[in-house]
Amino acid sequence: MRHPSAADTSRRKPSRIALVDANSFYVSCERVFDPSLAGVPTVVLSNNDGCVVARSNEAKALGIPMGEPWFKLAARAKEWGLVQRSSNYELYGDLSARFMELLGRHTNALEVYSVDEAFLGLNGEPEELVTEGQQIRRTVLRNTGLPVCVGIAPTKTLAKFANRIAKQNPAMNGVCNLDTMPPAHVDHIMSRVPVTGIWGIAGRLGKRLNSMGIFTIADLKASDPVVMRKKFSVLMQRTILELNGIPCIEIELEREDKKQMIFSRSFSTPVTTIAEMHQVLSIYAQSAAARLAKGEQLAKVMNVFAGTSHFHQSASSFPSVTVKLPAPTADPVILTKAAVGALDGVLMEGVPYARAGVILTDLSPAGYQPQFDEFVSVHEHRNIGDLLGKVKGKYGTASIGLGRAGMLAPPDWTMSRKHSSPRYTTEWAELPVVKAS
Amino acid sequence: MVIGVVRLHPVQPVQLTEISPISVPAGFPSPAQDYYDGGIDLNKHLIADTTCTFIVRVSGDSMSDAGISDGDELIVDRSLEPTDGCVVVAILDGELTIKRLKLGPNGVVLKAENRDYPDITVAELSDLSVWGVVTRCLHYV
Repeated sequence: MRHPSAADTSRRKPSRIALVDANSFYVSCERVFDPSLAGVPTVVLSNNDGCVVARSNEAKALGIPMGEPWFKLAARAKEWGLVQRSSNYELYGDLSARFMELLGRHTNALEVYSVDEAFLGLNGEPEELVTEGQQIRRTVLRNTGLPVCVGIAPTKTLAKFANRIAKQNPAMNGVCNLDTMPPAHVDHIMSRVPVTGIWGIAGRLGKRLNSMGIFTIADLKASDPVVMRKKFSVLMQRTILELNGIPCIEIELEREDKKQMIFSRSFSTPVTTIAEMHQVLSIYAQSAAARLAKGEQLAKVMNVFAGTSHFHQSASSFPSVTVKLPAPTADPVILTKAAVGALDGVLMEGVPYARAGVILTDLSPAGYQPQFDEFVSVHEHRNIGDLLGKVKGKYGTASIGLGRAGMLAPPDWTMSRKHSSPRYTTEWAELPVVKAS
Repeated sequence: MVIGVVRLHPVQPVQLTEISPISVPAGFPSPAQDYYDGGIDLNKHLIADTTCTFIVRVSGDSMSDAGISDGDELIVDRSLEPTDGCVVVAILDGELTIKRLKLGPNGVVLKAENRDYPDITVAELSDLSVWGVVTRCLHYV
């Protein structure tokens, strides 16, 4: 464990970590372009309009739980004045990208943690950081319309906790810096919040902790990290150290290297079958091929990876395989085969994968490569990549695909959405309408 | 199951295709080739900050005297401070509405640019929800 000196932190490592997240992100996105939803109880439904995946505060106040199936709510929706929306991922993705770009203007250490939250490394005196947090809040609200909260602390785990405090105390105006709170006050809150309220402690783990007499965050903070490591895992030890202000989980910077291209996402619901994983990887590979073609680049090396949740205590699996492509290529057929084939025999059926990705490295500009005829792929020869691009341009990204990515029946993580709002920011035909009347 | 469509770079809504004067029929290289430095990119000239800019479409003719017609597209920059005389998208009665903003001693006036439509007066700028400032109108001719 390293305790960096003050001089050291100002130059190299950010001394504090801020967790910025958007309040009821999906609902907030809907409200940006439909102000009539302000103050109206609103829920956003999962794919195929199944379950509630986001709730406005008004919907929470109605007692609607997360994950509630819509059919259970439909009968009373009218009486409640409850509005439902299908997930509009184009809109959420676009606003998320804008949100993250704005956060990036406040730090050079940004970790995009999920679609609606990010860790930022910050430096400054406690009061300065509160001011900075307020500024981040104002900038994001004004430029994107999204309300956000900011939690600031010495570690990621505590930053998450501070964010929770900011959310629950309107008087804080959306920003909580743990350093500006009296330690006794922080301890008091920790002694009242169940241990599952901390980042990384899931319900199941919570039960085990309860059986050991650890009920609150304060109990966990006071436990012996070494003993707990033996009983649980190194993850548990890290959480305990982080609760005590010792940084153990570093900010993972996104590699913005032009020499590589990353297609990776966390899934909201784990993917458990190999067939589904193949489909996910096929789609990433073809997206990668399309981006290579657009940037007139060829890739030489592909890394394919998958992983279970970091907090999933059993069944952890983090396969990662790097393959050298037969020749520098942007060919979607070759890339798809490589992506699916790389993890052959490595992926495990039934394991709940939480994320997967394809990384292309060793990129070079197309055309500058001396290509001997026998190494030019037969598909490139027939311009299949080009053709795919043209069909997609004309008929949409889902119109055609290779292998499993081209299956007509939508995989269950693509969606049917009857109550979707327009794709306001990504489709020319669906722009938001402003009234001049 | 969610595979988010998070784009790391915001979508650029307006795009002109570059056409390079590369070849002439006789097979000689174009004399312009050495001077060619890419086509005109409307994004570069019309949008100051893509992250904070949105395109919206006009419905109605209350701004016709300002050259803004039904069906036109507007470029809206949310990062700009609304000032006296600028055209804004404001939130009125739960709708996005376009008006000209007038800041005077008697309060804030949202002016229509068509005499058939009345002005709206609010006491303070803070009573008003400005969604964004209009910078350009893409008008059909």
